[in-house]
Amino acid sequence: MDKSGKWTLWNREFNSPILLASGTAGFGLELMEQDFLEGAAAVISKATTLKPREGNPPPRIVETRFGLLNSIGLANPGVEEVLKTLLPQAAILPCPLIINVAGETAEDFPAVIERLEESSVPFGYEVNVSCPNVAAGGIAFGASPEIVERIASLVKSVSSKPFSVKLTPNEGSIVESAKAAQAGGADAVTVCNTFLGMKMDWRTGKAPLKRNVGGYSSPALLPLTVARVFKTSEAVDIPVLASGGVNRAEDILELLAAGAEMVQVGTWLMRRPDAARELRESMIGLLESVSS
Amino acid sequence: MQLEVSHDSFPVTRRPLTISSISGSSVEIIFEAVGRGTGLLAGTDTGSSLRLLGPLGCGYRLNPGKWLLIGGGLGAAGFHGLAASIECGLLLLGASSQDKLLTIPGIETLTVTEDGSSGRKGLVTDLLETVRWGSFSSIALCGPVPMMKAVIELMPPQARTITQVSAEARMGCGWGACEGCSVPKAGGGFLKCCSDGPVFPADTIDWKLWEGIH
Repeated sequence: MDKSGKWTLWNREFNSPILLASGTAGFGLELMEQDFLEGAAAVISKATTLKPREGNPPPRIVETRFGLLNSIGLANPGVEEVLKTLLPQAAILPCPLIINVAGETAEDFPAVIERLEESSVPFGYEVNVSCPNVAAGGIAFGASPEIVERIASLVKSVSSKPFSVKLTPNEGSIVESAKAAQAGGADAVTVCNTFLGMKMDWRTGKAPLKRNVGGYSSPALLPLTVARVFKTSEAVDIPVLASGGVNRAEDILELLAAGAEMVQVGTWLMRRPDAARELRESMIGLLESVSS
Repeated sequence: MQLEVSHDSFPVTRRPLTISSISGSSVEIIFEAVGRGTGLLAGTDTGSSLRLLGPLGCGYRLNPGKWLLIGGGLGAAGFHGLAASIECGLLLLGASSQDKLLTIPGIETLTVTEDGSSGRKGLVTDLLETVRWGSFSSIALCGPVPMMKAVIELMPPQARTITQVSAEARMGCGWGACEGCSVPKAGGGFLKCCSDGPVFPADTIDWKLWEGIH
């Protein structure tokens, strides 16, 4: 942030550092209808893949004592439908749209982005390397810095727009993966994604989630995100987009102080779809109270 | 609609609840305290403020003609508002015991309880044999999934095509974004309980898969 209360990402100025995290805001269309995008710098779309995906069998979400487990399975209509239906509608969003891209193989990422390049709507992309690499037996792409660098350079070679690589906290080293993303030409890294978690019903001996494990998100993750943002931002020169554990204005300021360029709000949007406006107002209030 | 049940961060998600009836600027909800969220809600003091998001999703299509309502337990809470908006011919209600049995005044009602504390002893499906299916042009069905599936299976096929069911699922956002509340769709794929429903035509659901989830 500069002194005038502006935040910058990819040469564009914003009056808020808040990004709506992938998977929690759709393509922003429903939030736009309710005027709930006020306070958001940009919307990050739900994951888009080459082919349509039905997603995992339900139950797909389960609440735990201190957070939420999800196992949605990247349900989405596929890039062709996104191009045909969703992006034309998203052209009138009051804020930019970043398209989150997922794949089953390293080649899927540039293939999806090559198709998305047809549209002028996306402001940029977020490349989700937390998903399983089918060719490597299901280990996340993000587990290997070599594969992260390769994906970043493949995306760079087809994209005319900036992109962030969304790293995984579950496998490998986030700092090494961030450096690899930068080396491959990424314009930012997202730090990070949900943590692998599981709930067990001890009475039945079964997990409530159909796929047993899921992604854990919670306000309780904030210190884990702060640590990873701090270490990553020291190691790379590209912007770090923080993601994980934000539900108060103080959390945003804490992550910015730790080195984040912008801050994502995700799970909290499920509780408060108008969270961006509320958080931004309260954050500006806090900043003013400090400077006065 | 969805209600925030706590003033701190947990539980993170709101609780989805059926609007039982609306009068003026008040909404009435009827719920059972079964878990942490509804437990907190039940403990909320009179006069407290709670954040509400709604109305959400698609309710019953209020078709003209005579309706048959079939409800199980407190799942029938939404019938209060529905009954006021349609021509209700008959209400069939089942519950585990009398204290879980809802009443809607002014409507012909047949009741059954599992413990026999009110009406006949048995299940709501026991009431179906007396139904003259041909005299209704719409059917509303709401209750636990196994109960709804049992009712659907005992209906004549023609009745199934005029039945709307009110579904329940673990919900996230409540407005179609997170895809957390999937209900298996007949013919493959999933419906979003929160925004495609929660009221669905009975024949759009894959009942076998859905029962497997519960």
